[in-house]
Amino acid sequence: MKKRHFQALLLLLVLSIVLAACGSSATTNTQKISPPKETNSSEPQSENQVSESFQVDLSKVPERAQQRTDTIIVGLTNPSGAFTPYFTQVGYDGNVNSVLYTPLVRVDPNGVPEPALAEKWEISEDQLTYTFYLREGLKYSDGSPMTTEDVAFTWTLLHDPSYDGLNDVVETKIKGGQAYKEGKADSIEGIQIIDERTISVTLESTNATALTVLGGPILSKAYYGKDYKFGNLDYIKNLHANPITNGPYKLEKFIPGQEVRFVANEHYIFGKPKTEYFIYKTTEGDTWQFIETGETDYGSFSATKDNIEKLESLGFLNLIPNTASNYGYNMFNLEKEHLQDKRVRQALTYGLDRQLIYVESRQGAARLANIPSSPILWSYTEEDINPYPYDPEKAKALLDEAGWVVGADGIREKDGKKLEIHYLGSKNANTDIFIAVAKENYEALGIKFTPEQFPDFNTLVSKVDSGDFDMASFSTTIISDPSQGVSSFVKGETKGYSNPRLDELYEQGLATSDIEERKKIYHEMFKILNDELPVMFTTYTKSIIAINGRIDGFELNPLAGIAYSLPNWELK
Amino acid sequence: MRTYLLRRCLYMLLILFGASILIFFLYSLTPGDYVDNNLNLSDQRKAELREIYGLNKPILERYVIWISNIFQGDFGYSLAQQRPVLDLFQDYIWNSFLLASAATFFTWFFAVIIGVLTAYKQYSLFDTLVMIGIFAAMSIPSFFIGLFLIKLFAVDLKLLPPGGMITTGSRAEGWEYIKDVLHHMILPVAVMVLLGVGSLTRYFRSNMLEVIRQDYVRTARAKGLKERTVLYRHALKNAMLPAITLIGFELPGLFGGSIIIEKIFNWPGIGQLYMSSFTVRDYPLLMGFTMFIAILTVLGTLLSDILYHASDPRVKL
Repeated sequence: MKKRHFQALLLLLVLSIVLAACGSSATTNTQKISPPKETNSSEPQSENQVSESFQVDLSKVPERAQQRTDTIIVGLTNPSGAFTPYFTQVGYDGNVNSVLYTPLVRVDPNGVPEPALAEKWEISEDQLTYTFYLREGLKYSDGSPMTTEDVAFTWTLLHDPSYDGLNDVVETKIKGGQAYKEGKADSIEGIQIIDERTISVTLESTNATALTVLGGPILSKAYYGKDYKFGNLDYIKNLHANPITNGPYKLEKFIPGQEVRFVANEHYIFGKPKTEYFIYKTTEGDTWQFIETGETDYGSFSATKDNIEKLESLGFLNLIPNTASNYGYNMFNLEKEHLQDKRVRQALTYGLDRQLIYVESRQGAARLANIPSSPILWSYTEEDINPYPYDPEKAKALLDEAGWVVGADGIREKDGKKLEIHYLGSKNANTDIFIAVAKENYEALGIKFTPEQFPDFNTLVSKVDSGDFDMASFSTTIISDPSQGVSSFVKGETKGYSNPRLDELYEQGLATSDIEERKKIYHEMFKILNDELPVMFTTYTKSIIAINGRIDGFELNPLAGIAYSLPNWELK
Repeated sequence: MRTYLLRRCLYMLLILFGASILIFFLYSLTPGDYVDNNLNLSDQRKAELREIYGLNKPILERYVIWISNIFQGDFGYSLAQQRPVLDLFQDYIWNSFLLASAATFFTWFFAVIIGVLTAYKQYSLFDTLVMIGIFAAMSIPSFFIGLFLIKLFAVDLKLLPPGGMITTGSRAEGWEYIKDVLHHMILPVAVMVLLGVGSLTRYFRSNMLEVIRQDYVRTARAKGLKERTVLYRHALKNAMLPAITLIGFELPGLFGGSIIIEKIFNWPGIGQLYMSSFTVRDYPLLMGFTMFIAILTVLGTLLSDILYHASDPRVKL
């Protein structure tokens, strides 16, 4: 899953560029279109949706698209050509790989695991041993069979000390994994091949995400393991361009900077896909001109009112609203004394007009977040969750209570120290809006607000690492399991914050795979986090997916992307 | 001549050495590195990765490794793209070169013609109108004029493709392929020419004005030569001389790509690649590319000196 995390980050970057591009029009229009201000943060559902009367008119499909009878084209920012799962560094290669490979276990649109290449799995009583049963007749794109040997090989390969990718599989802590990594064992003790189609793996500690992490894409041992020597994975780099795969499509040709061409895989276990050719076309960010001219069949746009109107007016696109499964937040520097007081953090949240900053000025392309879980996940709840409506009076009362009193210059102080918020953010239109509003809001509360913006993400990160700040804006990567959303608040991951009850709940949440039971656990965690606010939760971003009306069979899955339904896409 | 070349080469090496130090240290002293990109990594994993990539070594040692690899023709391995930097150059630079060379050719072509004509008819209505037009074209931001032309010719009129280098999914080969690429080149080249032709025209115009007043031009006219011959054979030749120095300076531009134009027109060039590498701090690629441009710049200067000497015997080297 984490491959997609990075991609989400890039996506956000791209999105912010797109937003920046139409920033000026966005701000001038706010006045006219903003809905009546709501004090309650719960979202009016009717707002910024595709209008109900909207009908797709296939006669408006551009000629260029109509002429294409056996090919579907989707835009993708910048795949680099490293088409081996686990060995990609650019998130976009992850998109390509998800078309080339089908994992053992995938997630449905609500984040619930479902069988893919594995027909079923069993989890032992103690939640430590996972047994995967592969489907019968699995084949790679070259026709060779796929067996549990390949599964064991893939897991083992990722434990190589020279492996430089994202470390998910290693972090599931397979028994004996560390010994293999250190060269003390020839194989990993916890991995047991039972027969050609059955394999079990034993972990050192329980981990509810292990099912989807271990149930990822499986590399062919015959191909990727041929030249493997412990401690050296350089040879894999030479195989990136000619992958042997097991997904719905196989790679036909990669043209750097232009296209990734796929052709339907006749060995695909769920049957050959309905459309013969598929192409990921390299497009930089904004894909309007390609969607409009029918050059691409699919695009995702920020769900602003302007965008929706424009997409509707084109007429030939099916429009599907989508909410991202990550969340945005303002990080507090909890090592600073004034921010260690929960009341100050709550006051900063109450005292900020989040509705104006995040929803109205973005023309509804986001909704407010109050817990670390997206509304699309099964873990989402609004029950007993404080929505922190904009309430400056309450914020003032909280600050008074915390001992911060207004000084002679209008700035609050305590023990001779002034209440100051040094804010760090990226340089983009959204941050500009945030700063303008926050400055006004906070100064009205008697808080000195000094913003600083960075055009470059890495510089921002290293400034945050140095600890010289009070508040900084970030957003998480795509979250498919609720534990990923809370992991940063437990076990001292957030410096200066700890809550033993959270640590305890976190362990419990990972120790069981029963969704109902996990729901209860996470709801309790969300309640605590919503009250204590180790970070200020801000947004879930909303987008509109536009897909050419002549394509049938699309199913939205924000967690697995288009690869989830791609084999069923059919041209009318 | 030979001693001159030898001396120049020595200087070039020194300059490149200085440039390499600057490039390396400017990049490696910028806060944040490649590993910092991923907020999900634990500190322990970050340390492991820095070990694998050699980012934990002392900075001087890293410089020595980098520069000695370059001497062996190895510009490093791109961390983000997972390919050798030189291979990536191969993939992208020729696309940039294609675009830039076509644009440069037309820019010079139009600049010379317009420059000569406006100089010949100095202060005429034609001169004024052309100058206004040229300045207007120069002052429009490239992203605006690029997007405007896409909107006009691709989206509304559907005459030209909205971007890219070939029709997506096209299996054309040979002549058909060339036609396809040319079709896709029209808009980006037009924008690049529009933006670049202004300053060059001014340059040729002023050179031409100077030359036209020279005695030998009057002599040529007095001989009864045709005006066209006077202008293009006698005057232009000499007016072009100072422009030769410019050719050398165009060299890095030919290979360097154009970030904005390539982005707008979705052209698979090196400028785009450079930009996307920058946001993820892919240092091997960034440093390799900057070094490559530095080498081209130094070579370009040498080239223009030699050309100048070759075309004007009065210039002593």
